[in-house]
Amino acid sequence: MKRPKPRAQSLQSALATIVLLLTASAGVFAQVSYQRLLNAEKEPQNWLTYGGSYKQHRYSPLTLINRQNAGQLKLAWAYQMQRPGVVETSPIVVDGVMYLTEPPNSTVTALDTRSGRTLWTYTANIPPDVIVIGSPPVNRGVAILDDFVYVGTVHGHLIALDAKSGTVRWDTTVEDNKHGFYLTLAPLALDGKIIVGVSGAETGIRGFVDAYDAKSGKLVWRTYTIPTPGEPGSETWGKGDGWKTGGGSTWLTGSFDPELNLLYWATGNPAPDWNADNRPGDNLYTDSVLALDPATGKMKWHFQFTPEDVHDWDANETLVLFDAPINGRERKLIAQANRNGFYYVLDRATGEYLASAQYAKQTWADGIDAKGRPIRKKGIAPSLEGTLVFPNIQGASNWFSASYSPQTKLFYQAARDMGTIYFKGDAVYKPGTAFTGGGGRAVNGDVASGAIRALEATTGKMKWEFPLLSPGWTSLLSTGGGLLFGGTEEGNFFALDAESGKPLWDIQLGGAVRGIPMSYSVDGKQYVVIAAGTTLYVFTV
Amino acid sequence: MLRILTLVLLFAIAFPRSSSAQSAADVQAGKVLFGHLCVTCHGFDGAGGAGPPLNRAKLLNAPDDAALRTIIADGIPARGMPRVRRTLDFEQRQLVAYVRSLGRTARPAVRGNAQKGSELYTKLTCASCHIVKGQGGTLGPELTDIGVQRGPQYLRQSLVEPGAVLPNSTLGVQGPGYSEFLPVRVVMKDGAEVRGIRVNEDLFTIQLRDLSGKFHSIRKTNAEVIRKEPNTSLMPSFAGKVSDAELDDLVAYLSSLGGAQ
Repeated sequence: MKRPKPRAQSLQSALATIVLLLTASAGVFAQVSYQRLLNAEKEPQNWLTYGGSYKQHRYSPLTLINRQNAGQLKLAWAYQMQRPGVVETSPIVVDGVMYLTEPPNSTVTALDTRSGRTLWTYTANIPPDVIVIGSPPVNRGVAILDDFVYVGTVHGHLIALDAKSGTVRWDTTVEDNKHGFYLTLAPLALDGKIIVGVSGAETGIRGFVDAYDAKSGKLVWRTYTIPTPGEPGSETWGKGDGWKTGGGSTWLTGSFDPELNLLYWATGNPAPDWNADNRPGDNLYTDSVLALDPATGKMKWHFQFTPEDVHDWDANETLVLFDAPINGRERKLIAQANRNGFYYVLDRATGEYLASAQYAKQTWADGIDAKGRPIRKKGIAPSLEGTLVFPNIQGASNWFSASYSPQTKLFYQAARDMGTIYFKGDAVYKPGTAFTGGGGRAVNGDVASGAIRALEATTGKMKWEFPLLSPGWTSLLSTGGGLLFGGTEEGNFFALDAESGKPLWDIQLGGAVRGIPMSYSVDGKQYVVIAAGTTLYVFTV
Repeated sequence: MLRILTLVLLFAIAFPRSSSAQSAADVQAGKVLFGHLCVTCHGFDGAGGAGPPLNRAKLLNAPDDAALRTIIADGIPARGMPRVRRTLDFEQRQLVAYVRSLGRTARPAVRGNAQKGSELYTKLTCASCHIVKGQGGTLGPELTDIGVQRGPQYLRQSLVEPGAVLPNSTLGVQGPGYSEFLPVRVVMKDGAEVRGIRVNEDLFTIQLRDLSGKFHSIRKTNAEVIRKEPNTSLMPSFAGKVSDAELDDLVAYLSSLGGAQ
């Protein structure tokens, strides 16, 4: 073998150095590899995914803000949203840049985390007659993978943006908005795939979970949440064609276990919401959690929380993954505080039901049986003259994030103790129009209440509660500093001692707290972020 | 094509007769719906209650049927009318037909004499706490448009048993469903005592207005006792203080306020 000439060798190595330098400088801005997402907990200065990690703990290991100094929290900067709307965003933070979303047109904005100044903003071309039935036109955040930022939009698109400039890389129609499909959730980025679900059960859609190729935007797989006749589960829809318009939306970000290689996704209510005449049966796989193979979308197991739902109790609440011993045996667990008023713990490898506990006021069930099925009371169905049932239409919980602290081993949930007078009505399917079959009158004001409840994660047994004035829509953030952050409909934002629930600090922010809190650090300072009204506030000590 | 034919057939079955027959059927169907969805606030036969009476030819917020339909579809959340449930096109049509029919039938005659009621209003010094057309005190609710906003039965009860019918929040200061003019007694840790009506409240603070009209801002951790007094009112009851006929006169006067006809 001939040795290369010394001169050629040095030129080669110089070129290699330049290539390396170029790669490195590109990486400074936003090179979020799948490996980084897998190990998100090792980068506490960042917040790389919707829930902080694939486990959806909404837990920051940062300790610079803690029990001792929480009383000194003060405003660092604020950002005003560009348009009015309900702000339910969870920002993500990558190496000094924050990406957040704004209503009502699924706007994505990148901010400098040090100063709060805008780096870029992008709004898709949303038609004025966009159909959004079932919720306000909110957006809960973005996903990031490599150099792309992903947003789902109210007109039913999934769009990939260049993380540095906000320029569109690709724009894929998930499903036709004219039929009522729309997206509010933060997408979930896996290895080369972007996973999304859809909203729209209130227009009688048939829900699904989709996986798209992260680079090209091409559909990789689609798994429907409602089986076609003949498929397993189809026997739970009666003999009619109710399944075709059966709902089962997938509108909240799921969780992922890379070791078991299972993707967990929750499903929403059957349609029409309050009239089951044309869908007699359990209505699988509505109000369930599905465990899917991320490569193919194939269902590995399912568990249904609320069979034959007539109260609109979607199961689209945070799916929290944690490991803990149960009866002396270490188990891989998945837990959820469901909209129906019960907290559930399942084995996440098999879907086996392990435990449940009531965590909010409910009047519809005598309990949960040994297999995890509710023991339903009589006389709880919506009626022409109205039937009072707890929880209310929005549920004992809803989209707002729960939090799990590995430090305290507690599952934190804002619970809504409130009833609704449920009415049954007619339902006529017409694409893109309301297909709800009734509704409800809220029993609100001074007679309704709420609380933040700290539950023993393996059993759901309440350890403490912090009462709220009214049923909240507050997401929660627990931290390595021993704190739990939350807010109120009346505009309070506060820090509690995560061990005891004792309040340590609070501030009035002037608008209902619907944003989802998260935390990051930059230049050796920790920040806590929350949106209230239409302003994003960033606090530090 | 078959689908189009089916649609045409369905249409023919759904709308078979003349418009007046259709309308009579709509009124009947609308009455049933009204009984389920509207009667709690608007009263039987739309006579009014905590919500406005609807048995009149002209409705303030619904000058035409299209406007009435929009209100039925969406409510008027800013004025305290919720959308009880989502309604379908035909249900809205039926409700409009029924509500309009209420304005065409003769209303039961008001029992009292509004002129006498007005004199009694002055004599009882109601104006010390209530404003009518810019004149009066501010402790209680303004009554300028009360005849349009509330039904006679509600007004009578508020004179006899004011604590039982505290109005619910409509303007969103406190959020939907909260009692306005709720009496609250607070004893501070230093022993000072405040009694007033709740103006606003959040998790950590409460704002009161006392009998003299003074605002009090209270941090809850500084209070020993915060006692809300539901089913009570700072307004005195007139039960036993005025005769039945005089009560009728007062109700007639209040019902006449706001250009009600």
